[in-house]
Amino acid sequence: MAEIIRAENVKKTFTLTRKQRLLEKGAKKKVALAGLSFSANEGEIYGLLGPNGAGKTTMLRILATLIRADEGEAYVAGKSVMRDPAGVRASIGFLTSELRLEDFFTPAYLFGFFGRLRGMDDAAIARRREELFSKFGIDSFAEVRVRDLSTGMKQKVSLVVSIIHDPPVVIFDEPTNGLDVLTAKVVTDFLLELKGQGKSILLSTHIFSLVEKLCDRVGVIINGRMAAEGALAEVRGEQSLEDAFFDIYKREVTGR
Amino acid sequence: MKNVLTVMRKEFARFFGDKRLVLGTLILPGLLIFVLYTLMGAAFTDTGEETLTVRVLAPSASFAAYIDALETAAGEEGIGIAFETAEGDEEALLEEVGESFDALLVFDEGFDSLLVPGAPAASRPNVAIYYDSAVTSSLSAYNAAAQLLESWESGMSGLFNINVSAGGDLSTAEEARASYYAMLLPFLILTFLYSGCMGLAPESIAGEKERGTIATLLVTPVRRSELVVGKIVSLSALSALSALSSFIGTFLSLPRLAGGSIGETLAAYSVGQYFALLAVMLSAVLLIVSLISIVSAFARTVKEASAYSVPLMILVMLVGLSSMIFGAADVPAAVFLIPVYNCAQVLAEIFSMRFSALHLFVTLASDLVYIVLLVWVLARMFKSEKVIFNN
Repeated sequence: MAEIIRAENVKKTFTLTRKQRLLEKGAKKKVALAGLSFSANEGEIYGLLGPNGAGKTTMLRILATLIRADEGEAYVAGKSVMRDPAGVRASIGFLTSELRLEDFFTPAYLFGFFGRLRGMDDAAIARRREELFSKFGIDSFAEVRVRDLSTGMKQKVSLVVSIIHDPPVVIFDEPTNGLDVLTAKVVTDFLLELKGQGKSILLSTHIFSLVEKLCDRVGVIINGRMAAEGALAEVRGEQSLEDAFFDIYKREVTGR
Repeated sequence: MKNVLTVMRKEFARFFGDKRLVLGTLILPGLLIFVLYTLMGAAFTDTGEETLTVRVLAPSASFAAYIDALETAAGEEGIGIAFETAEGDEEALLEEVGESFDALLVFDEGFDSLLVPGAPAASRPNVAIYYDSAVTSSLSAYNAAAQLLESWESGMSGLFNINVSAGGDLSTAEEARASYYAMLLPFLILTFLYSGCMGLAPESIAGEKERGTIATLLVTPVRRSELVVGKIVSLSALSALSALSSFIGTFLSLPRLAGGSIGETLAAYSVGQYFALLAVMLSAVLLIVSLISIVSAFARTVKEASAYSVPLMILVMLVGLSSMIFGAADVPAAVFLIPVYNCAQVLAEIFSMRFSALHLFVTLASDLVYIVLLVWVLARMFKSEKVIFNN
């Protein structure tokens, strides 16, 4: 299978604020990515696993061109995130909890707005809206302002807005975080459906069951480095993914 | 261009969809200014038109002759004070000051005969003015009577007269009004423009950062410059509407303050001057919106952006005040390269009817360069993760 996402020795260091320094024992900088490399193939679901602060979200933000890597290079759908960020943004659907929707507007308005920003005409927006709104049950609250929706409803709206342009690559950061079991099921089923349509999906999570259910291949990030990577069966071996993860973590952190 | 229009439509939808925002930004400023200035104007006018009553005990014949001469010269307009001869006991009259009449003048016995040129101060006759400073009309009567007595006393030496048989104010009523507008309006317009921008720009830029909605826009393929231009143009249009509301309120109520009617005020300026006024206001609003947007982009929250914008507001108000203090200054064309100050100066020139096409051109051309530069800076800031994700 052809590579659809490739990260090559990506490094990223953040300068910490005064408050953050208190949490980092006075260090002025924090290395988020220390030369991370991985690749995801076309048509597969690739899971990035790792504890909080491992660098998963930073890597996804670099791939979504929200921030730039200090060193290294990354490609999405053959386009460089450094040299062709607009091309990358046109090829991906990106969903993360840090991306919010203006809560003054209704889902219907936002869908139209982002559709137009994605270069879609009114007819294409209407077709896509009919398809996605009915699939996620958004029709019933399409004209209700986002501020009046529940967390699950908001997540559904964010999700459909992120894939309005039917992108070949979908990048989701903790897509089921904070959702009730019913909404989480809708999201995971939809990811499988996208895979069935031949889309490539990269998701970051720390929920082992989600990875075991969805992912073809897995990358375990610890302290900004790829600690283990491969097919799900290879990474977990004979044990559960959770046990395998803790073995990898222990090996990386303690060196044993 | 299509994306710029999409962003603008969203900003307009956000604004016009919020009734409280529309009321607070477009309706209330103009309405409140109109009501306030009209009330102020009414208060001034009422005081000016009221005839004050001053009673005179033991009147002096020469003072009465002086007042007669003044009343004859003033004609129908009158001198604003009605002098009445008082009768009765002084103590009883003092009880009525501020109630039955506004002030009491008491001339010394034999006042006229004691008027001797060169007499020592101790032997000069006295005029006592009794008034009640707690009553506005009584205080006004005291001021007016004291002024009349001062001028009568100054004229006693009789060496020369000032503006009796010739001389006087050569300005027409229109010119006097124009001068008044030139002094007041540039400051007010710049203040209104800034207030309009302050209410909108921090919310649109820092507010989107604070709420995390800016990142959602940044993951679309839209160019940062398109986002910036869409925001700046829509914010400028909305701020200009807000300023227009304030301006209309001011313009409709100013005749009450300056005298004349709304029709006379409107007719005082040509169509070309109105277009020039519009062009300068748009130029100023674009400049101010761009500046506040840059300040807001640095801020992490709307509150922070508003705090950062305060020094800028003081600066803009000081620039506006310069036209209030100095009027339309006779300055070289190069001075019109100074942003914001050039707008204040051109506004003062327009209102004082000393409009210069060269100054307008230099102002608009230089401001256009500054605006393009500021938009470029803001677009660069939108690309910087340190600025956009500093919260």
